[in-house]
Amino acid sequence: MKIKLIRTGGFIPITKAAETEVNLSDQELNRLLIVIQPDPAAPRIKDGNYYELTAGPRSSPVDLGKVPDEYKALFSKLKNGLKIVKPG
Amino acid sequence: MCKNHFNPIHCIVPPYMLTKLMESSNKKIADLAINSDFRSFRFRNDRIYFQKASLQEKTILGLISKQTGKETMQMEVYDCKQKTDFTGATLLWNTKNNQKITSVAGKNVIKGGKASWDFYGQLFGRNSIDNKGLLIKQYVHYDKGMDNAYWDGRRMVYGDGDGLVFTSFTSDIDVIGHELTHGVTENEANLDYENQAGALNESFSDIFGIMIKQRFNNLDVKKSDWLIGEKVMIGPKYALRSMKAPGTAYINHPELGNDPQPATMDKYQNLPNTQSGDFGGVHLNSGIPNFAFYVAAFNIGGYAWEKAGRIWYAVLTDVKLAQNAKFSDVKNLTIVHAENLFGINSPEVNAVKQGWLEAKV
Repeated sequence: MKIKLIRTGGFIPITKAAETEVNLSDQELNRLLIVIQPDPAAPRIKDGNYYELTAGPRSSPVDLGKVPDEYKALFSKLKNGLKIVKPG
Repeated sequence: MCKNHFNPIHCIVPPYMLTKLMESSNKKIADLAINSDFRSFRFRNDRIYFQKASLQEKTILGLISKQTGKETMQMEVYDCKQKTDFTGATLLWNTKNNQKITSVAGKNVIKGGKASWDFYGQLFGRNSIDNKGLLIKQYVHYDKGMDNAYWDGRRMVYGDGDGLVFTSFTSDIDVIGHELTHGVTENEANLDYENQAGALNESFSDIFGIMIKQRFNNLDVKKSDWLIGEKVMIGPKYALRSMKAPGTAYINHPELGNDPQPATMDKYQNLPNTQSGDFGGVHLNSGIPNFAFYVAAFNIGGYAWEKAGRIWYAVLTDVKLAQNAKFSDVKNLTIVHAENLFGINSPEVNAVKQGWLEAKV
C-alpha cells in the first residue's frame, strides 16, 4: 500500500508531501497510526511544522518523536523526500 | 497566563470546552477542568493586579528583577549539528565567555538576539523575553535542511533552509526578532494561536521583528522596504512577507506561486482551525493588522519604533488585551493608547485610525 507523509505549517505555511510503497498489514498500519499520534494537549508551537500520515482513507497526525524504532528509517526516508506541493 | 504550571491543558483548551469538561461525569476530568478554570481566573486577576501595582509593589513582588539600568543580556547559542535532539546540541557561544565562533548561523543569531534584547531593553525598559531577565536560548543548524524557524515556548530554533527556495532562517534579523517576540507575547497577552487572535500573535511578531531590523540598520519608515525575510528566501524578487503590500512578497514563484496574504479585512481568509488550515490562517490573515501598522507608522513618519512602536507595545502589554482578542479589539486599544501617549486628535491618533481604516477593520 501507499503511505504519504504531509508536512504543513511553518513561518510561511507551505505544504510538503512524500509518498512511498510499504508492505504493512492492516493491523500493523492501525497500530502505527495510533502510536504516532501527538499528545492532543500539547501546546501549539509558534511557526511550528506539523505532520500527518495518510494511507488511503485513513490518516493520523504524527509526532515524529513517537515513531517506533522499527519505522524510524521509513519516516526518515519520507521526511528527507518531502517536496513542496505547488498551490493550485 | 500560561505559565507557572506544566499542564498544557491550561494553555490551549478554549473556555467553552472547559465549561463542558467541568460538567463531565468523569470526576478526574471535571476536577482537572475546575482546577484549570480556577487557575485561569487567578492568572487573569494576577495580571490586572500586577498592571495596576506601583513600581515599589512590583519590585517587592519580584516582578521587576533588575530595573537598575544595568540589566545584562543572558544568551546561549547551541549547534544542533543538523539533528533534532536538543539534548545532544553543543554549546557554541554564551554571554559569559563570549567565545569566538566561526558558524555564520551562530554569528547571525548572536547579532539578532542582541539587537532584539537591546530593542526591548533600551526602548521599553523590558528585561528580556519575560521582563525578568530570562536566559535567551537559540538553537541553530536544527535538522537537515529544515526550511523554518520557530519558538517552542522555551527556545528559538532555526533550520539551514533547503538550499533551493530558502537559505538559513538566521539570515534576517527580523526573523530572529519575530521568534523572540513570540516569547514576549507569550509572557504578556498570551494570544491564542488560532483565528484572529493567532493572526494578531503573528502580526505582533512581524511588527516588532521589522522594527528590530529597522533600528539595527537605522532605517526610517521611508527607507525601510518593509519586507520580512528577504535574505531567507532565495532570489532577489522574493521575501517571506511584505508589510507594506501584503500579498506581494512573492509573485509567480516557481515553487510557491503567489503570496496569499490579504491586506484588508474584506479579503480575510476563513480557513479551518486545523494544522493544515494554519489554525485559521494565522500566517495569512496577519497581513491585515500588519498593513494597518505599516500605514500608521508611515503616516506618523520618522523611525517606526519611536511612536508607532510605543503604541503597539503599550497594547501588547495591556491587561485589557484578551487572549482571544479580535482585530477590532487591537484597533480600539491602539487608538486609546495613541490618545494617552500623544493626545486626543493628535496626528498620531489620526495616523492610527487611518491605518485601520485602510486595512478595512
